[in-house]
Amino acid sequence: MKRIFIEPAKCDGCKNCTLACMESHREDGGRGLYTLDLTDPANQSRNRILSDGKGGYLPIFCRHCDDPDCAGTCMSGALVKNQTTGLVDYDAEKCAACYMCVMACRYGVPAVSPDRKRMIKCDFCQHLEEGPACVRACPKKAIEVREV
Amino acid sequence: MERFVIIGAGAAGISAAQVLRDFRPKDVVTVISTDEKVHSRCMLHKYLGHERDAQGINFVGADFFEKNDIVHISCETVKRIDTAAKTVFFGESYSAPYDKLLIATGSGFFIPPIPHFREAPNVFGFRDLSDALKIDEAFAKGRRVFIVGSGLVGLDAASALCERGAEITIAEMAPRVMPLQTDDYAASVYQKVFEDHGCKFLLGIGASDAVVDEAGNITEVILSNGEHIPCDFIIMAAGVRPRIQIALDSGIAAERAIQVDGHLRTSVPDVYAAGDCTGLSGVWPDAMAQGKAAARNMAGVDEAYPKPYPFKNTSNFFGVTMLSVGRLDLTEGADILVHKTPTEYKKAIVKDGRLTGYLSLGDISNHGLYLHLIRSGIDISGKLDKIFRLTFADFYGINEKNGEFAYSV
Repeated sequence: MKRIFIEPAKCDGCKNCTLACMESHREDGGRGLYTLDLTDPANQSRNRILSDGKGGYLPIFCRHCDDPDCAGTCMSGALVKNQTTGLVDYDAEKCAACYMCVMACRYGVPAVSPDRKRMIKCDFCQHLEEGPACVRACPKKAIEVREV
Repeated sequence: MERFVIIGAGAAGISAAQVLRDFRPKDVVTVISTDEKVHSRCMLHKYLGHERDAQGINFVGADFFEKNDIVHISCETVKRIDTAAKTVFFGESYSAPYDKLLIATGSGFFIPPIPHFREAPNVFGFRDLSDALKIDEAFAKGRRVFIVGSGLVGLDAASALCERGAEITIAEMAPRVMPLQTDDYAASVYQKVFEDHGCKFLLGIGASDAVVDEAGNITEVILSNGEHIPCDFIIMAAGVRPRIQIALDSGIAAERAIQVDGHLRTSVPDVYAAGDCTGLSGVWPDAMAQGKAAARNMAGVDEAYPKPYPFKNTSNFFGVTMLSVGRLDLTEGADILVHKTPTEYKKAIVKDGRLTGYLSLGDISNHGLYLHLIRSGIDISGKLDKIFRLTFADFYGINEKNGEFAYSV
């Protein structure tokens, strides 16, 4: 089982991870940052880099928790902790957009889709063979995939 | 080899079955349910709205029982438990012996004692798939629907049927819609969006009598002010009551709900209870958690189940989303903070430096921490200036061992 480990002290707040996440999940068929519409809510990032108020940065990434609040509250079966990969998988087809997951995640990770018909959270870029785009985009190795 | 029997196939029963299978791969796990098919009660409106079929509101896979080698006896209601002989009885003359038993019978809809309402064949609940099927049938014959109660269940039913062209009247005893989850402003937003979709509300008023035809069907509801509202059928959404009959009939301690201790054990050895029937909470996540905790105890893991925090809900009607956590009604000696823009409405109730209630209407993304702040009683007195912009960054911590987050307060 893998998890993206975070070392906040290494984060420079460049938000390359945020851009990489947006690029990895864009649905308009385009490729490359030059054509990525940063203002389109449909391209929202699944990770956030927030200020600590003291000049430092605090990366907020889905932890794919061992005992996930989100999957524990899902009444449609859309969010499931995959016991093999360790990831919390999301099936948009099953989702009823009730947003109990948004309420339940104590770290405030899940977001509401612009059309209010889905939830949005990290999928570990399972569509990419090389793994999470955010991790590869980080120039400081503040985020790193490790076995747990 | 131990035999585990679970009565009920709702959130608590199914999550318990999964945990028992995981912990005890070789033991026999049997689920007995009145329901024919496993379904999510919170998604019945998707079925009634013809958005999904029965399989579409199944919250586990269609192959759940087969895959997990769990015996499912469906369409059977357990009538009696012989706790001395450790056997449950159901159907004509069937019985199932158990070593450990879980009662997860949930709750049933409640019909207030209004004349004719309890006997009329066209008064339905909206609780189980069988209720939705009956409503679907009735709707094919008549489209004038009278809904009693404007809580989440009543509005779920209304949203599903108004999309199909129903003529809906909703009566609510309280002066506003969704009285438990809203304040006056949030209620007015939901009321308007439902009215825009053709629903009519009667607020602060109840049904007090009815006119029936020769078959006993209610044709007109008589309101407490004497007004008559013609209708083809009625949906009761005025609350639920824990289903405890089986416990009462079997000598298991129960009053309004089945009594359980901190390990979800009932008064009888080897009999456990979880979910709505325990009266501890009426929301889905707590039923899931109880089912899992009870199952682990049944499997021999000594695990205390902490009292749940039941005041939490979200709603999404016609794309209007709301999160409502804590107690919005307990405002004595508390500060009430409000943030209002054309697209957002947020309200925080703060008492002695701690958040006790939070309401957010609009984009509720990333709002999960507010429930945790309330439930855990975390001191936020130094952060009141940004109460509506709090994020996990304000409480950031990392569990170095496994890389998960942890609150640092």
